[in-house]
Amino acid sequence: MESMYFADSQIFLVSAVVVLPLISFLFILAGKRFNTENLALFHIAVSFILSVYLFTGIWNKQTVHLQWSWFSIGNVEFKVGILLNNLSVLMMVLVSGIATLVHVYSRAYMKGDPDIYRYWAYLGLFCFSMLGLVVSDSLLLIYLFWELVGFSSYLLIGFWYTRDSAARASKKAFIMNRIGDLGFLTGIMIIYQQFRTFDLSLLFAENGLIQASFIQEAMWISGTSGMPEIWLTVAGVAFFLGAMAKSAQFPLHTWLPDAMEGPTAVSSLIHAATMVAAGVFLIARIYPVFNLQVLNFMVIIGTITAFMAATIALTQNDIKRILAYSTVSQLGFMIMALGIGAYSESIFHLSTHAFFKCLLFLAAGAVIHEMHHNRDKYGLDFDYQDIRLMGGLKKQMPLAFISMCIASAALVGLPLTSGFLSKDSMLIKVFEWADSQTGILKIIPYLMLLSSALTAFYISRLIFKVFFSKPQPVSIPVVSDAKDAPGQMTVVLLILALFSTFLPFGLNPLSYETSWLWSGFSSSEILKQELYHQIIPFMVNTISAGMIVLAYRMYVQNKPFRFVSDESFLYRFSSGEWYLNQFYSFAFVKPIEKVALLSWRFDRYVIDAIVLSAAVVVRRISDFSKWTDKNIVDGAVNGSASLVAWAGSIFRMFQSGRLQHYLLSVLIVLLTFLILIFLI
Amino acid sequence: MIPLSHFLLISACLFCIGLYGVLTKRNAIQVLIGIEFMINAAVLNFVAFGRYDAEQGGGQMFALFAIILAAAGVAVALAIILNVYKHFKTIDPVKTDTLKD
Repeated sequence: MESMYFADSQIFLVSAVVVLPLISFLFILAGKRFNTENLALFHIAVSFILSVYLFTGIWNKQTVHLQWSWFSIGNVEFKVGILLNNLSVLMMVLVSGIATLVHVYSRAYMKGDPDIYRYWAYLGLFCFSMLGLVVSDSLLLIYLFWELVGFSSYLLIGFWYTRDSAARASKKAFIMNRIGDLGFLTGIMIIYQQFRTFDLSLLFAENGLIQASFIQEAMWISGTSGMPEIWLTVAGVAFFLGAMAKSAQFPLHTWLPDAMEGPTAVSSLIHAATMVAAGVFLIARIYPVFNLQVLNFMVIIGTITAFMAATIALTQNDIKRILAYSTVSQLGFMIMALGIGAYSESIFHLSTHAFFKCLLFLAAGAVIHEMHHNRDKYGLDFDYQDIRLMGGLKKQMPLAFISMCIASAALVGLPLTSGFLSKDSMLIKVFEWADSQTGILKIIPYLMLLSSALTAFYISRLIFKVFFSKPQPVSIPVVSDAKDAPGQMTVVLLILALFSTFLPFGLNPLSYETSWLWSGFSSSEILKQELYHQIIPFMVNTISAGMIVLAYRMYVQNKPFRFVSDESFLYRFSSGEWYLNQFYSFAFVKPIEKVALLSWRFDRYVIDAIVLSAAVVVRRISDFSKWTDKNIVDGAVNGSASLVAWAGSIFRMFQSGRLQHYLLSVLIVLLTFLILIFLI
Repeated sequence: MIPLSHFLLISACLFCIGLYGVLTKRNAIQVLIGIEFMINAAVLNFVAFGRYDAEQGGGQMFALFAIILAAAGVAVALAIILNVYKHFKTIDPVKTDTLKD
């Protein structure tokens, strides 16, 4: 009954949450060019308030599913609708909440940009697509919003499209995402072939079609239809491929670091907190479809991603690139957690990560903003995102420093932060899971532990370089003149800092099991080992503390304490980002360019040649036709006409008007007759 | 006795002279004279053949009739020539060529 009541009175609210940002987008697109920041902020803020209202009505209380008929082909009817459960309302609040904060932040951060109205319009489009993605109940609709999200991300990465690197990065992101989209589409087609529906609640609910289907004699049976068993795995891998591209998993992650060419506020909203989480969200939404092989594949990919990104982040010098690789690494953690069946731990980490990673980006944005601003003020020329040139900003920008420290602590997983709860929960689960595994899967928890240690190191390196160490000579005037960001930006930082602590997620700072967010979802059964619950948080924090001290000695005290020198292979391998870009360039981009060149040549020298010679033949034929027309057809007509004219000119001579000529003519005729008569 | 053929020969000569005058002269009066020649050639023929109709004198009668008609014709023709002269200020038949369309 409650569900019915909801449908009658509050359906309007759900559509408002999704559609409001679209309205702002359309308004700005339709020609509103002034005061756009207030328009955009108003719409997203209202959307956020409504989401919170819906959240309180739905979280742990009910599942709302409403459907309408969309269109039908023949007898097949396609339905669309909204499906609100714990997962989607949580994402809804997360997306609209962080989007609102980023809107507030951007008002100051993007101030003075000449094309600012485009920025607000694109943000509106992105929020619309992301919220639509979250509430959709049909795979087809999710796919539609999935594409829209990718497209708005493309627009925002390329916001400063006059910069060549931004234009390249936006194209790269779009193309890499297309690879994943192809996988997603394949998955959808397999599912539709098997079950004849796109409806999420029919397919993936408790005792839904997926759970009711079974494997028998190497066939995947559902109701009356079936297909070979392998297709279940293929569908799982295909869906996962979509998530891999969107959530920047190895080997499709290379677009995310490049996407940092966009404005920092965009990076924090789209490429740290929300859009990249869409892949994790998708996996969570269609979780039952994945069988054991795919889940293990997921674990391996997630682990590789987490480890690889952490090692790369160690040596990067661009502040945003470090954070981007950190995002990739954390997404790897989430994917790995989903793979081992730690469903609620993964979603929990997704939520906490959204806040602290957004904060890291926005605080970095505040630093970059100051560096950029002051650099231009002093007319200097250096890379304002290079952490080697920053330093000593602790005194100049205390609020940015404090918020960044809190966010980093959450990222590392230090006690009293949200990251401590969520990250340690995942690590505990992976150790418990590994107990029941054999072979190579045994080493996964240790790799994750190592990644976690590396995380502590690279983020401390960032903090120490930016806030503690001495600035380089070139940037001393810039750094010493820096001050905390304007009020609006700082307020956002402080709000996010609050959300990076344990408080919003549970009252007990040491146990994730008391968190309301964690208990809103259920994980698969993994044998619980009490020992791990005690020892792992302790281990993680001891190692992290060790790493932080190490980083402090290396970067603040400048002790020559190094495992590897800057010239060694490992260092270059890391700072070269595992040479994956070069590998892709060599393995895919160059061959494709060669094929394209070959095709161009084929087109130019074969196809064009055929066309041109055909044209020559046709021209010859037409020349001949022209000649025939002119000389034979026209010749006959003109000939008869000139014959008549000639005869006329002869005969008109008789009609001279002279009497005597006429008489002569008469005489000649008469004589002719007479002669003829006489002769015959 | 003069044979008939002599008369016919004279008549034919007269006719031809008249015809020549009509066709070639550049003066309407001379053309008129040519016409008179031709009429008189015909009259001469009537008179010559009239010998074979002595009882009724048909030939003689027709000759007189034709002479009268010729006189009337000349009167009309002279009036026309006078008008032509008034109109064109010439009586040269070559120059009065308005009969053409």
